[in-house]
Amino acid sequence: MVKAYINGTGCISAQNTIDESWFFETVAPPSVDYYNAIEPSYKEYIAPNLLRRMGRAIKMGVTTASIAIKNAGVTNVDAIITGTGLGCFEDSERFLLALLNNDEQFLTPTSFIQSTHNTVGSQIALIMKCHNYNFTYVHRGFSFESCLQDAMMLFNEGKESILIGGIEEHTPNYVNLYRRAKKFQEQNTAVPYWKSETSGTQMGEGAAFFVLNKHQTEKSVACVEGIQTLYKPKTTEDILDKLTAFLKMYSLTLADIDVTLMGFSLDVNFDKKLQELLPTIEKESCPAYFKHLSGEYHTASAFALWLATQLIEKQNLPKAISISQKAPTAIKHVLIINQYLGINYSFMLVAKV
Amino acid sequence: MDALIEKLKGQIIEQLNLAEVKPEEINPDSPLFGDGLGLDSIDALELIVLLEKHYGIKIEDPKDGKTIFQSLRTMAEYIKANGKS
Repeated sequence: MVKAYINGTGCISAQNTIDESWFFETVAPPSVDYYNAIEPSYKEYIAPNLLRRMGRAIKMGVTTASIAIKNAGVTNVDAIITGTGLGCFEDSERFLLALLNNDEQFLTPTSFIQSTHNTVGSQIALIMKCHNYNFTYVHRGFSFESCLQDAMMLFNEGKESILIGGIEEHTPNYVNLYRRAKKFQEQNTAVPYWKSETSGTQMGEGAAFFVLNKHQTEKSVACVEGIQTLYKPKTTEDILDKLTAFLKMYSLTLADIDVTLMGFSLDVNFDKKLQELLPTIEKESCPAYFKHLSGEYHTASAFALWLATQLIEKQNLPKAISISQKAPTAIKHVLIINQYLGINYSFMLVAKV
Repeated sequence: MDALIEKLKGQIIEQLNLAEVKPEEINPDSPLFGDGLGLDSIDALELIVLLEKHYGIKIEDPKDGKTIFQSLRTMAEYIKANGKS
């Protein structure tokens, strides 16, 4: 079965992950009930004439893509695949507000051009002068997973090197609407993410990009062995059955998984099945969680994949993400079990090379 | 005319998101496109909308844009001759 070797990564998140040496030295708490990404000075990464037209999602995407490409030591790729649930939300809002405020007149082109979901992928392609396959998935909680599935299928078709990434931004308007809809935790809760008994999450944003290669090279830091998505599983047993079958495809069982990164969102309405799954995971593997670092968003699984790569590279499971007292002796396999709104579940199997 | 040029500087900086450019750095006689401010075709569309929105001027023939948007001064002169406000 084809593997996707991770040769370069770049990440902007609510943690200081733009500093590539970051590994839990500091863990930033949410500002209020949501997380803002820690953004760099973009002038260091993007030409000023391009920068002035870009919204934050584009800036975050282009910057993390450029870091991943630099780390992989490549100048071009065979495909660029991006995933986003909301796309370039800031520019979409700007365009629609101008439409309303100016009585549908005096519409300017910039925010409209920049508002489409595929702007990030196209800007990266323009900067790289990459005329190859370019695709953007807007599949809500499966947006990033779809990128990875597509990349692995393209490897089967003969592509060698592929850039994939997940991007999400929030805006003050979006945050306000979310708050009014009571989708947030109303106060900072002392209850751990995996034990939440209340409704509401802590929203996040960010971008994570990966240069994947069909073959292992000296730059390879880890590899994705497999991915599977699950839409609206009915019961926890359904998830466990699918998970067991998924691992069996790679001749593995849960006991072979050193760390399991679980996508608890702090909202009990959506975490219930993962909470029920936790004792089984805890028995066989070292469970960990990550959305207290990234916040919840459509493509938080891209952050999880970035984190899994870090754990494998550093061979360390920090206490800041560990759920149990268990510590792995070595980290050979990391399993990501993510969920978004209790609808989109996914498994990603990441291995040491 | 000078007051109008100063006003235009601020409006252009805001409309085109030229956050790095200060009003005093814009020479009213330098070309807006190419060498001067380095604007491009998308900016030209933004400037056409700016004229219509703030000065009630509708440029019917896009070819006229080449003369009107030569520099800040030519733009101000055109507004003075054709503007409603």
